[in-house]
Amino acid sequence: MRRFLLSLTLGLLLGALAGAAIGWLNPPPAARNSRLSDLAQPHRDDYTIMIAAGYAHDADLTGALERLRLLQVADLASYLRATTERIIASGSRELGDVRVLARLADKLGGATAAMAPFLDGS
Amino acid sequence: MRATAAISHWLFALGLMIGIALGLAATRLYGPLQRDNAEPWQLQPEQSHHYRVAVALEYAHSGDLTTALGKLISLRPATDPLQTLADSACQLGSSGYLSSPSGIRALRVAAQFYLEQGRDGCVEQLLPPVTAPTPAASDEDSAGALAQSKPAPTKPPLDAVVQPTRLALPSQPAQRRFEAISLRSFCAVDRPAIIEVSVVDYLGRGLPGQQIRARWGAQEDIFISGLKGERGGGYADFQMAADADYTLDMPNAAEPVGASLRTGLCYEGNRESLKSYRVVFAER
Repeated sequence: MRRFLLSLTLGLLLGALAGAAIGWLNPPPAARNSRLSDLAQPHRDDYTIMIAAGYAHDADLTGALERLRLLQVADLASYLRATTERIIASGSRELGDVRVLARLADKLGGATAAMAPFLDGS
Repeated sequence: MRATAAISHWLFALGLMIGIALGLAATRLYGPLQRDNAEPWQLQPEQSHHYRVAVALEYAHSGDLTTALGKLISLRPATDPLQTLADSACQLGSSGYLSSPSGIRALRVAAQFYLEQGRDGCVEQLLPPVTAPTPAASDEDSAGALAQSKPAPTKPPLDAVVQPTRLALPSQPAQRRFEAISLRSFCAVDRPAIIEVSVVDYLGRGLPGQQIRARWGAQEDIFISGLKGERGGGYADFQMAADADYTLDMPNAAEPVGASLRTGLCYEGNRESLKSYRVVFAER
């Protein structure tokens, strides 16, 4: 009996430790239960650009902000400013994307010197 | 030999397997969840509806069908990506999304998109009629009845970039009117000399994106509601300086509040602070 308990307990303890270590170091990717705020940065940028393009289309600031709020950021003006500046610095997006972002950032009072060239003629 | 005899290899292996399973299960339940790494296809259904509407809004601006389709496909729909846009619009339209002018405008754009591509949905029946066609829409009147009927089935191939038929959509939001219904001062050590503004619609719901103007002396500043999401959609605030009288209004939307606002010493309990104000602008 003692041999039975010792074997099983030792196996369980070592196994639990190994399982916890494996699980901790390899967390599962999100399933189809993610929110827009969980999107990886490139996709969050995509969403932000889409909303900014929508604003460029209809000038509906209320609607744009309601949609951006789904990203659950505390300060939308700061978020938009930071996103726009990061995208400008990286040069990773089309000119049209930067323009619509800069335009919305400007509308929210967050335009910076880096955005100025993209506000002309947008 | 004694050590080998002390444990049973079979039982040890069994315990090890059960332990690994338990350890893995525990980390799945309580371990670190990866956040900020989701792909669009991993969005919850309701969140993917909003994503699809955003795709339609961008398409309305850019007219880039290829990009729009790529983004719709990135959601990995089980069926036709454009039909899922129609279904998403239908879902949103049936769940209160049409209660705001912004929602109506967005779903009209979504409907325009999928109808152009020969898809059917339900939202075109839910949308209110278009009442204010743009003056430039004279040659597009036949398409202007989007809200009532779908356009002629001129469905182009999906991979062709089409010149979209523009509908008679109001390009600017209707001007809302507001009234300052509440002005109160308060004293809080953690929020000294601040004007907190709430902009609400006629049902009392916070309205983001509304401009509020503070004027003092020869200066003025405009701030916008809804930028601090954690404080509510209609919230905005403004930091006051000492020795200045502020007036508050909403440009072209609300008359100035009745009194000028000025900060000064106040006490919360026995702690000193500077007087702050709360103002509510309500739609009328």
